[in-house]
Amino acid sequence: MKKIEIDPISRLEGHGKIAIFLDDAGDVANAYLQIPELRGFEQFCVGRPVEEVPRIVPRICGV
Amino acid sequence: MPEKFKFAFMPSGSCGGCEIAVVDIDEVILKVAELADIVYWPTALDFKDKDLEAIPDGGITVGFFNGAVRNDHDVHHAKLMRQKSQVLVAFGACAQMGGIPSLGNFWTTEDLAHRMYDTVPSVVNPEGTRPQLKYDVPEGELTLPRAMDRTYALDQVVNVDYYLPGCPPQPKWIIAAVEAVAKGELPPKGTVIAGTKAVCDECPRERTEEKQVTAFKRIHLVENDPKKCFLEQGIMCCGPATRDGCEAACIVAGQACRGCFGPTDNVNDMGAKLASAIASIVVADTRDEADRILSQLDDPAGYFYRFGLARSMLGVQRGELKGDK
Repeated sequence: MKKIEIDPISRLEGHGKIAIFLDDAGDVANAYLQIPELRGFEQFCVGRPVEEVPRIVPRICGV
Repeated sequence: MPEKFKFAFMPSGSCGGCEIAVVDIDEVILKVAELADIVYWPTALDFKDKDLEAIPDGGITVGFFNGAVRNDHDVHHAKLMRQKSQVLVAFGACAQMGGIPSLGNFWTTEDLAHRMYDTVPSVVNPEGTRPQLKYDVPEGELTLPRAMDRTYALDQVVNVDYYLPGCPPQPKWIIAAVEAVAKGELPPKGTVIAGTKAVCDECPRERTEEKQVTAFKRIHLVENDPKKCFLEQGIMCCGPATRDGCEAACIVAGQACRGCFGPTDNVNDMGAKLASAIASIVVADTRDEADRILSQLDDPAGYFYRFGLARSMLGVQRGELKGDK
């Protein structure tokens, strides 16, 4: 099938990628949203003082 | 009509805050628009990789790269931006020194993935499903970039000409950089476009000449005096080893500095510099007394390397993770 990839998604914080598969008639057979990013906030906040966490996690999304 | 400059903005392992910082220059963006065409900015406009690839080498006057280098697409983008840009600026703390994402370098990438996909309380993943680099779906194939073994700063991957520090960078320094380009008055290569002293020089709080630390305390144990130096009250502050230019913004807002502008000149490993700066202001007559006071610091790794772990000479965690800490 024909695949159209939108990568990256504009006007979105964080990387997002969309793969759209078109059938022979040109209609959308399926579409997949993928998040091609791994930063690890869930782990690297562990062990930090609780009062520091509100200064770290806003960097998940600066928008 | 003089030819306009060509600017490009490339995000990578980032949060978007640096690109918001560009927008935060407010009406000055109109002057930038008079001066330059934006030939690539995928976050704000509909540009994709193929548009960047189509630009001739050196066709970008100034490329601004924000975000840390976290996966192999980021490496590819860093190399593309270096190839296509006459001047490449590491924009923001992540590009300069790894930023907050580089806190992940205290663990291996596999440790991070194990937490994210297996052990985080909010995740239900009994089959241990993981993202795959290539995956077949009924309609065809999906691909994902590969996470590198750790987070890298931009200049660990390509040559960088200038640094615009901060998390996020401040409008006044973004404007200063654009003006320098406009006037053809760029500083020597390698310059960090910010102040040249430490945050203590811009800090409005009162302190003794040498700063004297007699204890370290968590904030809930301190009767916070808003006029007095944080360190002298026992609250950790990175001001002594952090480059100024931010007008002590966090301190003015009532929070101690955490070092987002990076180190002062000629320092590669900010954490090491901070460790030595903090240790040097501890007041102790004996080694035991010094040890006692320094052991009160609850998270030295996280304070000394909050934004700059990618540039640590200590390297990265390679061993087996012991426990959840």
